[in-house]
Amino acid sequence: MFSLSSEAKVGLFVLVGLIILGYMSVQVGKQTLGLKKGYTLEVFFDNAAGLDRDASVQIAGVEVGRVESIQLQAGKALVRLRITPGVKLEHDAIAAIKTHGILGEKYVELHPGTRGAAFLGPGEQIFRTERQTDIDRMLNQLSLIADDVRGVTSSLNRVLAGQAGEEAITSILTNTKDLTRNLNHVIVSNEAALHAALENTRQLTGNLNRVVTQNDEKVGQVMDTLKSASVEMEKTFATLKEITGGINRGEGTLGQLVKDKGAAEKLNQTLASLQEVTQKINEGRGSIGKLVNDDETVRNLNEGLTGLNRYVNKAEQFRTFLSYRGEYLFDKSNAKSYLDLRIQPKEDKFYIVGVVSDPKGRRTTKDVTSLGVTTRTEEWDRDGLLFNAQIGKRYKDLVLRGGLLESTGGIGIDYLTLNDKLKLSFEAFGFGNDRRAHLKAGAEYRLFRHLYLSAGWDDFVSDQDNRSIYGGFAIRFEDDDLKYMLTTTPIPK
Amino acid sequence: MNRFSGALDRLGRAVLAAVEEMGKIILLFVSVLAWMFRPPFKLRNIFKQMEFVGVKSIFVVVLTGTFTGMVMALQGYHGFRMFSAESLVGGTVALGMTRELGPVLTSLMVTARAGSAMAAELGTMRVTEQIDALYVMAANPVKHLIVPRVIAGVLMVPLLTVVSDFTGILGGYFVGVHILGINSGIFIKNITRLVELNDIYNGLVKAACFGLILSLIGCYKGFNTYGGAEGVGRATTEAVVLASISILISDYFLTAIMF
Amino acid sequence: MIKLVDLHKSFGRQKVLDGLDLEIEKGKTTVIIGRSGGGKSVLLKHMIGLLRPEQGQILIDGTDITKLKDRALNEIRKKFGMLFQEAALFDSMTVAENVAFPLREHTTMKEKEIRETVADRLRSVGLTGVEEKMPSELSGGMRKRVGLARAIALRPQIVLFDEPTTGLDPVMTEAINRLIIDTQKNLNITCVVISHDVRSIFEIGHRIAMLYEGKIIENGTPEELKASRNPVIVQFLAGSIEGPIRIM
Repeated sequence: MFSLSSEAKVGLFVLVGLIILGYMSVQVGKQTLGLKKGYTLEVFFDNAAGLDRDASVQIAGVEVGRVESIQLQAGKALVRLRITPGVKLEHDAIAAIKTHGILGEKYVELHPGTRGAAFLGPGEQIFRTERQTDIDRMLNQLSLIADDVRGVTSSLNRVLAGQAGEEAITSILTNTKDLTRNLNHVIVSNEAALHAALENTRQLTGNLNRVVTQNDEKVGQVMDTLKSASVEMEKTFATLKEITGGINRGEGTLGQLVKDKGAAEKLNQTLASLQEVTQKINEGRGSIGKLVNDDETVRNLNEGLTGLNRYVNKAEQFRTFLSYRGEYLFDKSNAKSYLDLRIQPKEDKFYIVGVVSDPKGRRTTKDVTSLGVTTRTEEWDRDGLLFNAQIGKRYKDLVLRGGLLESTGGIGIDYLTLNDKLKLSFEAFGFGNDRRAHLKAGAEYRLFRHLYLSAGWDDFVSDQDNRSIYGGFAIRFEDDDLKYMLTTTPIPK
Repeated sequence: MNRFSGALDRLGRAVLAAVEEMGKIILLFVSVLAWMFRPPFKLRNIFKQMEFVGVKSIFVVVLTGTFTGMVMALQGYHGFRMFSAESLVGGTVALGMTRELGPVLTSLMVTARAGSAMAAELGTMRVTEQIDALYVMAANPVKHLIVPRVIAGVLMVPLLTVVSDFTGILGGYFVGVHILGINSGIFIKNITRLVELNDIYNGLVKAACFGLILSLIGCYKGFNTYGGAEGVGRATTEAVVLASISILISDYFLTAIMF
Repeated sequence: MIKLVDLHKSFGRQKVLDGLDLEIEKGKTTVIIGRSGGGKSVLLKHMIGLLRPEQGQILIDGTDITKLKDRALNEIRKKFGMLFQEAALFDSMTVAENVAFPLREHTTMKEKEIRETVADRLRSVGLTGVEEKMPSELSGGMRKRVGLARAIALRPQIVLFDEPTTGLDPVMTEAINRLIIDTQKNLNITCVVISHDVRSIFEIGHRIAMLYEGKIIENGTPEELKASRNPVIVQFLAGSIEGPIRIM
């Protein structure tokens, strides 16, 4: 029996544990590996009840993808499917939600469609869906059928009570059967049309009725109006006759205008020049003409509209974040809190405004000159809040920002990695003229969706013995999240 | 009336004491964090604790894991048979083990085995003045005694959970396939279909949290022991009870956050 | 060397130190005597900062340690060695590891130097060949000697002894007393010994201080103490039931 040191035993255990973990991960993760690269398709279903995220997508029973998301859009369920890269679907592909057995889970069954011109590309929509047969609908129909059957059998009973006409009845029955089947067929196949016809007729008669009853009154009114109008017209004609008489006699301005030859000439000229102007406009001369005739104007206008569109799009990118950060300074044994509002008008540009509560407080220096001696006093305002106001821009994984950091001018650099999960940052601020700048380096790691852990080294070139290792956490919400969080409480599945 | 206000008084005192204790445990955690990253690092101490918490707990964890998996398979089988869905037994056992029972049972077993030992060991050191001796020799007891135990707890409990998950599923497989006669291919297929990578990893994150809780509480109770041999006994009991309760309560909240 | 000024300390309602003043002389052995449970150990723990007084000053070479932060206090503590009542050896470590602990903690010695120093310290308390034993395998007297070896490992200026002879047979008591005297003389250190063993007191003490009801009521040479007329001291030294010290 040989004995191992504790180090060796622990090492062996860790090795075995990691191998088992690796094995289980590979077994479980096998299916989802490779799917990340696939493309997405969209389908609208009337009803996606029971379908979950990550539900299987199958063709002929073979899994070819997973359900990526389910959303409500325009009263329908918009289901996004992620399909493995090798699988191609035609434009007339059909999607249906089906169930494994009676109590099994739901999955999306695809029929790839008939060979056409082109395959469905990423982000495109499958237009054809099949209604699912759900159990409720099936049971409903079954009970209707049962009612019918009972009616038929009870009437049959009554008819068959007389013994004499059994044979005749039998033949009648066969006829009736044929007839009802045909009738049924007719009704069933034309049901929709019949319904529509009836509905139209009902609407038509309704409209007619409404027109008649309403116009009964209106017709009377119209007649009255006509009557009074004719009286007014008579008066108007009389006045007109008077005016024309005056004009003919050369009275009043209009009279003079008509009588005067020169005036008529001027009028003619005016009209002529007006004609000239409109012609010019038509030909595209002069500024108005250009405006009307030039293609460029149209293009400019179009561009203006595009710009407007872009602005509207921008509003969609506009995001705001609210974050709280607490940092515990181990060497100082106290904590700093940051409350920041981050406004992000574009993906790569942001503004931060916020407040910082620093137990160390804010330093103010005061120079007092008395008797020819200047003394500088430092005061620490311990209750004072410090302010953050920064502007920042992101270049790929690198973020540069600057502005007010803790109420002094400064700059900061962040480096984001691991899908933005890990943030390494460096800040320099507080370039006072009589002391070293406040430098701070740290890392922040996203643990869960809203929760971050942070650690670093604060004020590490301090000449005031302010340097300290810190550790802490941050909570960060997008304002939508906040709304969401406030209205729902998490319930474990 | 007097009895009523007396009861209120006691209730208030109990709540205050509980809150104070929680605060002290969190302060201990903060100072553990502070000392953890301050060199020199006594790797030997850490390995010793890892051996004690991890390697020596393997047997008991394997045992509980296996039998839990076997029982789940048996119970699940009788339930699922009503719907002719016996094939789901594998997935249920695997999901149950990775998400809940693996982390929780493992940490409860480690609490009973190692958490209690931490409390007893530190408690004995306290009452025999060994902790005072550390202070006198200008050596910080948090760094020498508590940091290695907490590190061992946080690292070893997830690893033990992996073992527990795995043996639980093996136990379930044994019962499901060899005793109840479920098709082995379908059994495994359902495991890989229902269990996601995140189920395993979130279970391990939970286990790390539980490892932190049990080692921190064990050390806290031991470190603050008073009153001789009786005090050591009391500290041990309190450590196991408090750690077990904390694990179960925090399990709910961790589950609510993660799944 | 050590100066205690107006110390107050109480546990709950019980007042243990009540305005105590005491000065410990450099290079001498001072024995503090008093009743069991009378606060002697509490007094000793104050000198090394394990307990903090509610009021008063503790001056070590002029520095008041009652207000010091942990880091500064640890610097002061390196001047001290302490032998606990039950030796307080770390029972997860061997004898050698116990004695080497302060060396590993506060010096940059190589393993070989440490091994030599440990052997030297053990030899100076009269032990050889016990390096690889565990504390549980040792007798009470041996444990105390290992404890002393650990206390003097860093060559401290002051060594505190918390009831070094309690629970030992007369022969071992004598051996430990000799050890204390020799150590004090050889290393030229300041010793503070707590004891209520009257025979040992006069053997090892250069000065003797009597702690009674939270105060030092007498502080002098053994001869002065023997000649004291104070009824408390007379009763204590005689071990008599009759007198001002009440038995509860």
